Amino acid sequence: MVWFGLYFPELPLEVLVRGQPLQGPLAVTGQQDGQLRILRCNAAARKQGIRPGQPLQAALALSGELRSWPRDRRQEQEALQDLAHWAWQFSSLITFEPSLLLLEIGASLRLFGGVDALLQRILDGLAVLGYQGHWALAPTPMAAGLLARESSGSRVATRDALLDRLAAIPLARLTRNAEARRLLDDIGLVSIADALCLPRPELARRLGPEPLQLLDRLLGDAPDPRPPWQPPPRFAQTMELQAEVSHRAALIFPARRLLLSLCGFLRGRGAATQQLHWRLDYREALPANAFEQGLLAPSGDPEHLLARFRERLERVVLAAPVIRLGLRVDDCLAYAERPGDWLSRTAPQDDKGVLERLATRLGEQRLGSLQGRPDHRPEQAVAIAPVEAGGGETLHRGWLPIWLLDPPRSLKLEDGVPQHAGPLELLSHSRRIESGWWDGKDAARDYYLARNPGGERLWVFRDRRDGRWFLHGLFD
Amino acid sequence: MPKKAQHNLLEEGLGRGLVWRAREGHPGASDRIEPSGWPVLDECTGGGWPKGALSELLSRRHLGLSLLLPLLARLSRETRWLGWVAPPHLPFAPGLAQAGVALEQLVLVREVDTQERLWAAEQLLKSGRCSAVLLWPQALQDVQIRRLQLAAEQGDCMGVLFRPLRAAPQASPAALRLRLLPSPLGLDVEVLKRRNGWGGRHCTVRAPLIQ
Repeated sequence: MVWFGLYFPELPLEVLVRGQPLQGPLAVTGQQDGQLRILRCNAAARKQGIRPGQPLQAALALSGELRSWPRDRRQEQEALQDLAHWAWQFSSLITFEPSLLLLEIGASLRLFGGVDALLQRILDGLAVLGYQGHWALAPTPMAAGLLARESSGSRVATRDALLDRLAAIPLARLTRNAEARRLLDDIGLVSIADALCLPRPELARRLGPEPLQLLDRLLGDAPDPRPPWQPPPRFAQTMELQAEVSHRAALIFPARRLLLSLCGFLRGRGAATQQLHWRLDYREALPANAFEQGLLAPSGDPEHLLARFRERLERVVLAAPVIRLGLRVDDCLAYAERPGDWLSRTAPQDDKGVLERLATRLGEQRLGSLQGRPDHRPEQAVAIAPVEAGGGETLHRGWLPIWLLDPPRSLKLEDGVPQHAGPLELLSHSRRIESGWWDGKDAARDYYLARNPGGERLWVFRDRRDGRWFLHGLFD
Repeated sequence: MPKKAQHNLLEEGLGRGLVWRAREGHPGASDRIEPSGWPVLDECTGGGWPKGALSELLSRRHLGLSLLLPLLARLSRETRWLGWVAPPHLPFAPGLAQAGVALEQLVLVREVDTQERLWAAEQLLKSGRCSAVLLWPQALQDVQIRRLQLAAEQGDCMGVLFRPLRAAPQASPAALRLRLLPSPLGLDVEVLKRRNGWGGRHCTVRAPLIQ
């Protein structure tokens, strides 16, 4: 097993501020020794001399612009749950410790193309979500967690390497329980290495059964069964907005993070969604603004969903400043259940969906399908439709070209004969079209099959109103 | 060569093709053949279009789509898509529908520059979600063709490149290369290269409108 420990040292502050691109010194505070003190602060605050542990009063004396909020442990808990939702795409065995997420990634390494590729994806993804993670790879969950806290960036694969890496870590760090820590401090063993030097009976006598078991689990000498996190069947997350949002555009930023989280969740289940429920909570005691957003086709692509949200947002009226944005998805559609989907075939891996990738890079307007329309005018008989919305019907029969030139290309006449790389030989009259008087794009044309000296077969027409000739289509 | 001997040679070639096919068995193999729907063309190409591989159609003016229509019509009954990357004109929906192509299977990628069309074609080829991808590229380098060939194998997808006549002397990893010239009867096809067989054969595919 390969355990990936992710420790979030800045979680108390991140959960409060990640909903918005906030500038300036920011901090989160908590009660310590009967005083309100700085617990975490951002780089801008540190630049002004603010440090964790300072009394809030002292910090405010250093910076008048400092914005601070009291710690919210409930939100931190929820944030870890949200992160687990997102991380479900990388691992199906996830457990928690305080401020820590543990993922078993051994089973996913091949799927994601190796350790480095997977690491990069996870860390990049976290940054985009607004979190900073310290991480470690280790063969046991406990070691992965401990190393993520104490020695971020560690990659340990074997027991020997693990012993090496753990040696200098204080023994008391084995547990977060304050009482147990005090006991371990009293034993007189400083580091994990000190403990492991002792013969086991001696160690057992001095440590007592519980710390000894911790040590065994740490090294993988005893099993460490952990209840695996089970994702709930539906997705529901909220984003706190510390600065009032009175402009719709400012909702894009938090919406993007919610959608990224959602899409990680969907990807983990190989699913997509077609129905999103958004909710805006107002600062005033007004009823929340809740609206649904339906999609034409199920999607699990964050950029696609964000583009749709932007469009939907145009129609939203903000009755008051918004303090919270919520997203809920009740129905996850398994991709495999969609008719005509690739999973029903023996196709290779393409989890993201090639169309979404194309649309994201090229823009949706460059992707399309072909639609036939019941119109006698050739240029009205074909249209570009959204992908998978092609089809339609046609009134055209007989010899039809494969290609249409839109607009038709005007042909020169020489001695009354239309020219296209030489004089055209008219092979047959194909049809007469008189149509379109009702929409102002009327046409009165005679169509012919023609051939030029090079042997190319062409579809041409003569405009019956002014006698001009046009090239309108190409055969092979 | 007497006609009978030629016929025997063809039989032998087809036989070898069948042996190849039976031995393959694994997905992504590129020596399988899709009948083109044109008997004369199948005869001179050794059975039709190679699956999971590239074919090149070289002509002065993007000719050759009509040769593909019977195959596209058949593939469009599958659930996989037909990718069209950078077609030179608007495909005339009624013309394709008349040839039996199910339009809802088409994925058109339009108004894309040189690099984008290669990227898009590669993505579609290797996605496994397309049964065929048609590409109208600008000038192609050998290494780019090789990438497309690999993508076609990876996605078990038929790739068709529409290229100018001047590309004929360029070496290419494509499994099938045809030079096309318009003729009074339809299209003159010259086989420049094929797998498990000999190039240099000619045939004329009669254009359906000159029947």
